[in-house]
Amino acid sequence: MATPVKMPRLGESVAEGTVGSWLKKEGDLVEKDESLAEIITDKINAELPSPVAGRLTKILVQADETVPVGADIALIEENVEATATPTPATSAPAASAPAPASTPVGAASQQSAPSAPARPQGTTAMGNGRGAASSSVRSAPEQQGEEERQRISPLARRLAREHGIDLNDIAGTGLGGRVRRDDIMAYLANRQAAQVAQPAQPVQVPAAAATAPAPVTTAQPAPTATPSVVPRATEFVTIAQTPDEEVVEPSRMRLAIAEHMVRSKRTSPHATTVVEVDMTNIAKWLEKHKQEFKQREGYSISYVPFVMKAVCEGIRKFPLINSTWTPDNKIIIKKRINLGIAVATDVGLVVPTIYDADQYTLAGLAKQVNAVAQRARANKLTVQDMQNSTFVVNNPGTFGTIISVPIINQPHAGILSMDAVVKRPVVIEDDAIAVRSMMYLCLSFDHRILDGAQAGGFLQAVRNKLQSYGREIDVY
Amino acid sequence: MSAVTYLEAISQAIREEMRRDEAVFLLGEDVGTYGGAFKVSAGFLEEFGPERVIDTPMAEGAIIGSAVGAALMGMRPIAEMQFIDFITCGFDQIINMASKMYWRVGMPVPMVIRGPSGGGTKGGPFHSVSPEAWFFHTPGIKVVVPATAYDAKGLLKAAVRDNNPVLYLEHKLLYRMPELREELPGEDYTVPLGKAIVRREGQDMTILTYGAMVHQSLKAAQILEEEDDLAVEVVDLRSLTPLDRETILESVKHTNKVLIVHEDTLTGGIGAELAAILAEDLFEYLDGPISRVAAPDVAFPYAPPLEAAFLPNSEKIVAAARRLAAY
Repeated sequence: MATPVKMPRLGESVAEGTVGSWLKKEGDLVEKDESLAEIITDKINAELPSPVAGRLTKILVQADETVPVGADIALIEENVEATATPTPATSAPAASAPAPASTPVGAASQQSAPSAPARPQGTTAMGNGRGAASSSVRSAPEQQGEEERQRISPLARRLAREHGIDLNDIAGTGLGGRVRRDDIMAYLANRQAAQVAQPAQPVQVPAAAATAPAPVTTAQPAPTATPSVVPRATEFVTIAQTPDEEVVEPSRMRLAIAEHMVRSKRTSPHATTVVEVDMTNIAKWLEKHKQEFKQREGYSISYVPFVMKAVCEGIRKFPLINSTWTPDNKIIIKKRINLGIAVATDVGLVVPTIYDADQYTLAGLAKQVNAVAQRARANKLTVQDMQNSTFVVNNPGTFGTIISVPIINQPHAGILSMDAVVKRPVVIEDDAIAVRSMMYLCLSFDHRILDGAQAGGFLQAVRNKLQSYGREIDVY
Repeated sequence: MSAVTYLEAISQAIREEMRRDEAVFLLGEDVGTYGGAFKVSAGFLEEFGPERVIDTPMAEGAIIGSAVGAALMGMRPIAEMQFIDFITCGFDQIINMASKMYWRVGMPVPMVIRGPSGGGTKGGPFHSVSPEAWFFHTPGIKVVVPATAYDAKGLLKAAVRDNNPVLYLEHKLLYRMPELREELPGEDYTVPLGKAIVRREGQDMTILTYGAMVHQSLKAAQILEEEDDLAVEVVDLRSLTPLDRETILESVKHTNKVLIVHEDTLTGGIGAELAAILAEDLFEYLDGPISRVAAPDVAFPYAPPLEAAFLPNSEKIVAAARRLAAY
């Protein structure tokens, strides 16, 4: 009985995925969780772990083909010798860990995962047709090089880094397809020639550019001036240039964000409400204990875990906040509270998930936030990290904003933005005026699901929780 | 002025230094009456007399020990090993005396130990070794290996004038090699210790080598250019201690691939140290593995076919260079 391998859903809004390359070929024995293929989606690249141990009997979707999420892409025959073969602990990476969590995700994953059997050469050759040619022969069993890690000489690696070249774009000509000096030089010469050949094209701003405005704070634009290696998924390619204007092809990630934002605005009637929260006690506590906390725990604590904790309380009181409006007009209320937390990375905005956020203490949440943020910045988010969030907390406050109107991360019912905590003169009890540390919380919600009353009630609950802290706070 | 051989260049250097400086004298087995086993000092006894050209007993420990003593007393002895293989009999005097004296008592030991090294003459296990690695490892002694007549003379003169013990390794195969004959400058000259020289320029790979292997490497480079269109740079180290890191690093930075060639056996050889230096300093400049061509780790064989198989040569260098180029 063959087990089908399905195109995974890599991210909430991702409907389809492309097989970047097969890391195994037909006939290969695979361990459970061993990487089968590299999957490229609009948002991230990931290695696909095998769901079972067995023999890869059939590849149904060839490299560079794109299929919907859930489509069968290969068949694995279980009950072959592979299952009888003793499985040394070393050959089954992280056998004890949940499968997807052991698979790093990200454009640079093939470099950061030494244990993963790696990608073959020439996944995409420079636009000279070699890519197409290689994909057609890729599954041929005699392709021994397939199982090898991408080979790069130390010099080539340095040159690629210095010139911002994605090594995946280069077909190596050394032994076993190794990328070496001459390949980089040839690529640079080509690139330069291509740039020289193109400047005369008329400048046409694509219509899409006008219809996909950079959304509000939910998506921080990817910094364009990244000096180090910019993975392909995030690269802006200059199409044309005049002295006054430059036309760039948005990166795949940028396109994905654009599509998602437009779709979200079209799908959910957004309404936004704002409350003002007195964060003075938390601010004072942080001021006093932040340093010591970090020294003690090894990770830092900020306003974010406090807000997340409060959001969990709010959701408990107003479960509808944690729900989804389905295309067939039902509402699914999610019982688990999996908070997505927006993280701006060098390559763009990602929203990894903190599962069961309501089960953590403040310190526990701080730890989780640090962990996912670190994984995000190191390009090591797992498939698991990118799935199953039920509500998003966004923190544009770190950029100094005071009011942000976020766009919902589909298919959620709402999204909360926490803005900067700033000192303001505030009228307090007995009409006295005091200097307090204040913060605006903005909730954008799907008006199909919620009305102002529930949204306001939720925000009140969040505010009450945040303002309930005294001078002494037990974060454990 | 006629073209001189490598051997004549050595002879000239000693003669001129003895004429220049009364403190310079020659001692060794058969260097006097017989004029040296290879006739390096033919005619010296007649010119300089028995006090400056001393025939010694067959006792390398005594030869080198006497030289150390004389050097401490202000002389500049040149001690000849009839075959460099026998230097092992004087090992203690070199390692424990000559190389450490300056650190122990602050007195310089200006002396030269020289002799024929290397194989290819069907000399068998006791007349063929390349002993440089033993001394390369030892601080306090300089090691030079000339590959041409010009360098043979210039390096030997520099060695005699240096205030440290210098091991000067001649290659007996080069002694009378006709293609090494060259016109030498009429005036006095030296080749500075610690300076390598680029014998052939190229940008595809660097061969680091010295001694007789310089010629095998140049031959290989020619073949590689003609048959493979590879431009191979050949660096003749000339001095092993001190090592000319600047020239070495500059060349490899430029070519990004390096092949190290030496006649000595592989393990713990000069190539091992060069490889370590390159890996430490130039890792991100390397476009391929640091590669070595050297003799296998066995005793020097006597049988001619085995000797031929044992010694590195241009064919082996070409083969290794092709592998490296394809890498």
